[in-house]
Amino acid sequence: MLNMTLYKREMKGSLKMLIIFAAIISMYVSIIISMYDPEMMATLDSFYEVMPEVMASVGMCTGATSLIGFMISYLYGFILLIFPMVFCILRGNGLIAKYADKGSMVTLLAAPVKRRTVAVTQMSVLISGILLLLAYTTGLEAAIAGTSFPGELAIWELLKLNGALLCLHLFIGSICFLSSCVFSDTKYSVAFGAGIPALMYVLQMLANAGEKADVIRYFTFFTFFDANGIAANEGSAVIGTLALLLCAIALYTTGITVFCRKDLHI
Amino acid sequence: MHVINIQNLTRDYGAGKGIFDVSIQVRKGEAFGFLGPNGAGKTTTIRHLMGFIRPEAGYCQISGLDCWKNRDEIQKRLGYIPGEISFFDDMGGKKFLKFVSDYRNAGKGSRMQEMLERFALDPKGKIKKMSKGMKQKIGIVAAFMHDPDILILDEPTSGLDPLMQNRFIELIAEEKKKGKTILLSSHMFEEVERTCDRIGIIRSGKLVTVDAVETLRERHMHTYTVRLDSPKLAADFARDFDGTCDGNLVTVAAKQSLEAIFMNYYGGKENA
Repeated sequence: MLNMTLYKREMKGSLKMLIIFAAIISMYVSIIISMYDPEMMATLDSFYEVMPEVMASVGMCTGATSLIGFMISYLYGFILLIFPMVFCILRGNGLIAKYADKGSMVTLLAAPVKRRTVAVTQMSVLISGILLLLAYTTGLEAAIAGTSFPGELAIWELLKLNGALLCLHLFIGSICFLSSCVFSDTKYSVAFGAGIPALMYVLQMLANAGEKADVIRYFTFFTFFDANGIAANEGSAVIGTLALLLCAIALYTTGITVFCRKDLHI
Repeated sequence: MHVINIQNLTRDYGAGKGIFDVSIQVRKGEAFGFLGPNGAGKTTTIRHLMGFIRPEAGYCQISGLDCWKNRDEIQKRLGYIPGEISFFDDMGGKKFLKFVSDYRNAGKGSRMQEMLERFALDPKGKIKKMSKGMKQKIGIVAAFMHDPDILILDEPTSGLDPLMQNRFIELIAEEKKKGKTILLSSHMFEEVERTCDRIGIIRSGKLVTVDAVETLRERHMHTYTVRLDSPKLAADFARDFDGTCDGNLVTVAAKQSLEAIFMNYYGGKENA
């Protein structure tokens, strides 16, 4: 199913990007968790009172009393959505469409390797990258919260939350992957692979910003990722997460099928 | 049995582009030259053979296997030089060849070293920084190193200097002797003439003629015999004009260019 030679090469290709994103996430996670301080909360709440739309649009709201609630407000609305998403976009495009566009796909297909194997390998590389990034984030959060505020963060809660986040990013990754499989031209692959998630995020920001714009929430898949709902064990949040996962599986499968069947003018 | 069997292959890109009703058969151990100007449909035909694109009509088979459905099976014994070389720019030449070898699961018995020496290629350095000729050599090594039985070569000598072109032609002759089946596309009549048994000429997507090299040569080569003043002069003349010398008589052949040959097929004066 996998071609290990290709897998290793591509993982090496992901490495540099993973290190950069891990570094950015490390910085934000450590700064934000260390900012958790019931007294500080008052300051942040005062920001919220001054500019509620701006704060809400990036998913930050008041009333985050527990550490996990604080983290959901300040990490799971922007930083942990955007950076893994950018990773999916960059990598998703590079794994299939870039090869087809540049013609170096010839090297991968002029060999006794099934197209399915090539596609499954490239998909695995993307998923591995997402997994590594989120596993690192989880470990980091647990470590920083554990040292700064011992006993404040329940590991099980964190795992649930990041499990849901993983489903969201697997879904975003599947959009990028499908786009990469459908289009043999980097231009279009990026337009759809980056455009759709970015547009959805902008809609999510608008939906968060105001009461009137709340209806927009039905037009963006980010609604399926309900961090507060997951933390509160809400059934609808679990269903949303499962929906993301199932859609991701469907899109990855479609991507692989499209790649196996399409004409490649390479 | 025909190793390469193309039957009524059609792919219409619209506006007269594409290939139309192309049928070619290549026997085992035969070298088939595929001649045509740029944009005639050589690469499109080869893409079908490689299983990159699906035929609109007709079919093509290699060793009895369908080129689209069984493409990975076919690739086991196939070597391919793409018409447009594009490798992984981020890799060094040596690393790339190692990658291809591992990726194919080629294992031991690789002819990589032999090929590198034959083409005097030092694969150090990034592929991105290599000249066109260097890249072409890497492509040749990558296509031959797993010692395939069937070779599909799309303008394999483009970018090579004349010395390396000669070496390549020698390589093809050797491989042919070993019983390998070769399909070589080119827009240079001479290259095909020196290596192939039969030649197919394609133009505007249609196969115009398939003939043995000898037949084409006889049809399109005119020979002249000239008498010179002295045997010495005759010998010099024969050397300079690549003719054969017999006393004062020298026989020289004038080869028509590919274009002239095409004119024969399209100028309405097809001389049978």
